[in-house]
Amino acid sequence: MRITPIRRIVQLLSLSAMVVVPLLNRRGIAAVSGSFYSLNIGPVLLTDPLIAIQSLLATLRFEAVLLASALIPAGIALALGRVFCSWVCPQNTLSELFDTVGSKLGFVRFFTLGSKPLIRYAVLAAILAATLFFGFPLASLFSAPGIISVQTARLIYEGTVGLELTLIAIIILAELFLVRRVWCNHLCPVGSMLGLCQGKKTLKVVLSEAESRPCIRCRECAKACQLGLNPMIGQLVPQCHNCGACIDACRKISGASKPLSFHF
Amino acid sequence: MSRDFLRPPGAVPEEDFLGRCIRCGKCALACPYRAIRVAGLLDGLTMMGTPVIRARLSPCYLCLKCVPVCPSGALDGQVKKREQVRMGTARINKKECLTWQGTFCRSCYDHCPLFNEAITMDNELRPVVNEKKCVGCGICEHVCPAGTAAITIMPAGETG
Repeated sequence: MRITPIRRIVQLLSLSAMVVVPLLNRRGIAAVSGSFYSLNIGPVLLTDPLIAIQSLLATLRFEAVLLASALIPAGIALALGRVFCSWVCPQNTLSELFDTVGSKLGFVRFFTLGSKPLIRYAVLAAILAATLFFGFPLASLFSAPGIISVQTARLIYEGTVGLELTLIAIIILAELFLVRRVWCNHLCPVGSMLGLCQGKKTLKVVLSEAESRPCIRCRECAKACQLGLNPMIGQLVPQCHNCGACIDACRKISGASKPLSFHF
Repeated sequence: MSRDFLRPPGAVPEEDFLGRCIRCGKCALACPYRAIRVAGLLDGLTMMGTPVIRARLSPCYLCLKCVPVCPSGALDGQVKKREQVRMGTARINKKECLTWQGTFCRSCYDHCPLFNEAITMDNELRPVVNEKKCVGCGICEHVCPAGTAAITIMPAGETG
């Protein structure tokens, strides 16, 4: 069973939800309401861990409900890795789409930043430090999924969108012309915070070679990875967001022997 | 420069509000009158994504559905009755007010949800705001028939 078709369905559901939820809310049906900053599903409140930590730093107040509501998303990241990024986040869906189109059209990216998480955590630390210093919820302004979902709702409610979408345009242009997938792979503070939630037992892509499942070093897995990671040399965490594209590529070649697969 | 918009009911004081509000937009989604709008970058970088009410355009009808959905405490969950709301205070510009200028009109008085409490009539039947009772919902500003609203809401925490 290939992973990507299932992921595409989840991505489409996520995009549809951004439209359907405001449409239903507008008619007074509000069982599900909110955005990728904070979401209510019935009585359950889910908040982006980055946003909850940001509130703590910006206000220096312990809002128990807000912090507790980040536990389920953080727990999902602890169990399954950054699946929010690869399976749900609308920015990733957009970036993936533009990357596929860009690659087909032969767009050249002029720089590469390697696959070390250093930049990612430096950016996160800078944003959180500035949040603390200014007492201002700065991270909210850098949440691409938050901005996209709120602006979609705004379009439905008010018939207009804000200049916040400039950030999304800049991300897409930078990813097409400067560094491939630079936002998701090196800059996004939402993904970095989810990355920090991961642990030793978190679901990850593992190359487990054995006689029955040999890796023939065909490099199809590395070619399939939009983030420029190489599953054959390991050390994918925390950059890998478990999209499964490498596993699909591997199975195309290796069939049932499956040298590359998800493991806890 | 004072704000030219209101915050939703239950909002904590402005400086605190800007720190607490996580810009999630839930209050705007919850507002059945679509009175709560999401501020854009043009309203200022610090305002971006925060909820604003422009009463002349679309006032608050005090249903208070927005208050309990706020996850951050930017809207104070303790505010449960409309009498507790303090979004601002109505002020009458007597030079523009039809009644104060001699043409009889009681639009603001008639539409005030705290009827005959927040806006009363003086003994010459001219509207007067009772600042102790007015919650600043802005319905008076919305219905004022004068070209430029003669009754406007001074947002809470603002002076002058």
